[in-house]
Amino acid sequence: MYGGGNIFDEIKPDDVAGEDSIKLAEFEARIDRGEKIEPTDWMPKLYRKQLIRMIEQHAHSEIIGALPEGTWITRAPGFKRKMALMAKVQDEVGHGQLLYSAAETLGKSREQMIDDLINGKSKYSNVFNYPTFTWADCCFISWLVDAGAIVNQLANAKGSYGPYCRALERICAEESFHLKYGHHCVIYLASGTQKQRDMFQEAIYRWWPPMMHFFGPSDKISVHTEILMKWKVKMDTNDNMRNQFLDMYVPKIWELGFTIPDPKLKKNTATGRWEYTEPDWDEFKRVINGGGPCNKERLEVRRIAEERGRWVREALRAPKTEYITPLA
Amino acid sequence: MNHEAIKELLYKMADDQLILGHRNSEWTGFGPLLEEDIAFSSMAQDKIGHSLALYTILHELGEQDPDTIAFTRNADQFHNTVFTELPNAEYDFSLIRHFLYDTSEALRFEILSQSSFEPLAQLAIKVRGELRYHTMHANTWIKQLGSATEESISKLQKSLEYALPYALGLFEPSLYESKLINEKVFEGEKALEEKWKKKVEEVIAQTQLQLPNWKTLTPHYGGRIGKHSEHLQPLLDEMSEVLRIDPTAEW
Amino acid sequence: MKSLDPRVNRLPLTGNTSPKVLLDQFGTFEVFVQAKAGKPFQHEGVVHAPNLEMSYLLAKETFTRRFTCVSIYVVDTRNVHVSVLTEDEDNAYNHVTEVASSGNKVSFEIFHLFKRGKQHQHAGTVEASNPNEALWLASKQLKTEKQVFNIWAIHTDDIRFTHQDDLDLWHTLPDKKFRDAAAYKGGDKLKSFLEELKK
Repeated sequence: MYGGGNIFDEIKPDDVAGEDSIKLAEFEARIDRGEKIEPTDWMPKLYRKQLIRMIEQHAHSEIIGALPEGTWITRAPGFKRKMALMAKVQDEVGHGQLLYSAAETLGKSREQMIDDLINGKSKYSNVFNYPTFTWADCCFISWLVDAGAIVNQLANAKGSYGPYCRALERICAEESFHLKYGHHCVIYLASGTQKQRDMFQEAIYRWWPPMMHFFGPSDKISVHTEILMKWKVKMDTNDNMRNQFLDMYVPKIWELGFTIPDPKLKKNTATGRWEYTEPDWDEFKRVINGGGPCNKERLEVRRIAEERGRWVREALRAPKTEYITPLA
Repeated sequence: MNHEAIKELLYKMADDQLILGHRNSEWTGFGPLLEEDIAFSSMAQDKIGHSLALYTILHELGEQDPDTIAFTRNADQFHNTVFTELPNAEYDFSLIRHFLYDTSEALRFEILSQSSFEPLAQLAIKVRGELRYHTMHANTWIKQLGSATEESISKLQKSLEYALPYALGLFEPSLYESKLINEKVFEGEKALEEKWKKKVEEVIAQTQLQLPNWKTLTPHYGGRIGKHSEHLQPLLDEMSEVLRIDPTAEW
Repeated sequence: MKSLDPRVNRLPLTGNTSPKVLLDQFGTFEVFVQAKAGKPFQHEGVVHAPNLEMSYLLAKETFTRRFTCVSIYVVDTRNVHVSVLTEDEDNAYNHVTEVASSGNKVSFEIFHLFKRGKQHQHAGTVEASNPNEALWLASKQLKTEKQVFNIWAIHTDDIRFTHQDDLDLWHTLPDKKFRDAAAYKGGDKLKSFLEELKK
């Protein structure tokens, strides 16, 4: 579950200046033809660097994203929910596994990536730094955060890097169950008792601001990413993806009779674009940089998990095997 | 056919599966390596699935619906062994429990595939492949870590010694042993225990772990008749926390 | 640490806040899945594991817990012989040259990449004395009209196949409906609720 779009570095003109112009032209021609780039192809350093960052952040978001929903894994009400939530949280871990493997083909080991996560060097989606106070918060994530992730992932699956596309195709196929399950949970809360409805309404109040942050800062204040769009690393602008999400899901939330805490939220029928109160981007930055309500806990839990698993991994380290970059 | 005897058998099997599946699901997202995190979670899901299948058979025999049975009873109404309700502790204990329990489970279902009680025989045949993976997984891990480093061997050894008396509690004889045997529903706990010991010995012999003499062990009984440790009620309270907000609501 | 997650509250505090030590990563193993009987095995990704047997065990749930599957196999990445990767209208077989046979023949499994961005698929088996000869023989025996961008050759004995006895491992997969989107149809409930709302 990843909203992407958020933390690309500022790109300077000389980032590409040193590249071999013939190779660069061949590389760009391949992308223009609609052919994917594979790990053994020549690629610009900037392309490799930005892809590693993007796929790594995506992988971390899956692993950390397993935690807020995992908060309710032992408390899901009834067999149907219990089994579904177990399978869903497991899938998030599985998606992390697929994405780390895709990033590894670019030359960074999984171990190095997990170290960078735990030591605070890498980022992940800020939405997972918020707490899930009730079962309804968990349902909000299952339905709407997943829905947002699918908007992003479907776009990225059309990108230029073969291993990332393969991973995303698999992930999107698996997530069709997540989205249906999440919506199913919410329909039951919406049509249930007053208490159940209140639970979900409160979850919307809590989760709407992080949900608006999910697709990253507004295009007006984002760093310029034209070259990444040209190389099909970044597939659409943050605002376009946010708009697409609002277009698909706001009517569904309203349909259930819930209130979204933004009085300005409406679709401009002339432009086809959604209008909304500008999200608080200072809050976004504060959370991304470690100041959210759960940043510390999320990393601490990962650190403890690694620490507890250390003896297992050390015991299994075999002299006969060696780490090698995956082929595809 | 004696329904009370069959129900007793079904309840203890189902409760074991539910409680251990629940315990094992606590590892999801916290596992020692990503791939293992996924594998362990799948097996926990299988266990919950088996408990649901067994509660469904009970429901067909006139008991309440599976959600009510699983989520609304108190600890003293549960028939699982104390073994399955013990906290996860570290991965060495969770793995040893997985190995000892799943070995018994696979053998129990193997026996039940011949049962005169048709619904159980059918279920046993159906889940054979799942259980094959569970025991393959358990055996491979125990063999690996049981012969790896001094640290891993000593951790597993300690957990094995702690777990064994509890594991023997799996074979606590019921009031209905002879009825189940006579009616060819189930060969009985004694027969299962012997098969289980042989299998455990066979796997442990391929490691650097030491099995204590069986005669020196006192089985931890009581779970089958509702006598549990202090760990079960909090587990059940946690499991039903959301449902109890309004037990009559649909979630 | 007081968490909303009861599981987190039960975690032992390691007290260790020092940076994580970088462990050597396990080896890498390529995973191939057969979705249906009669369909070719297809490459699906990798797992990291300490040995071939563990890689098989871990690959099974990592790659085949969700969609139909009848068999899998795994191989150490180091044992995959990789041809050149081509683009546009250039066939990878154009770059395969004749190699003389040298010594004993063994089996090699050959895999084709038909489109960049897609997965390698099993194409067939050849008997050759080394991987380069295997590619050459594949160009004679397995090459078809379809353009191939990349070829893999793997010595058959290096593969951990699914044993004949274990084919029932995936037997209950179609029954695990709780992992299937189709099990979460809320349409009727939603419809009656919306009608209720209108009143």
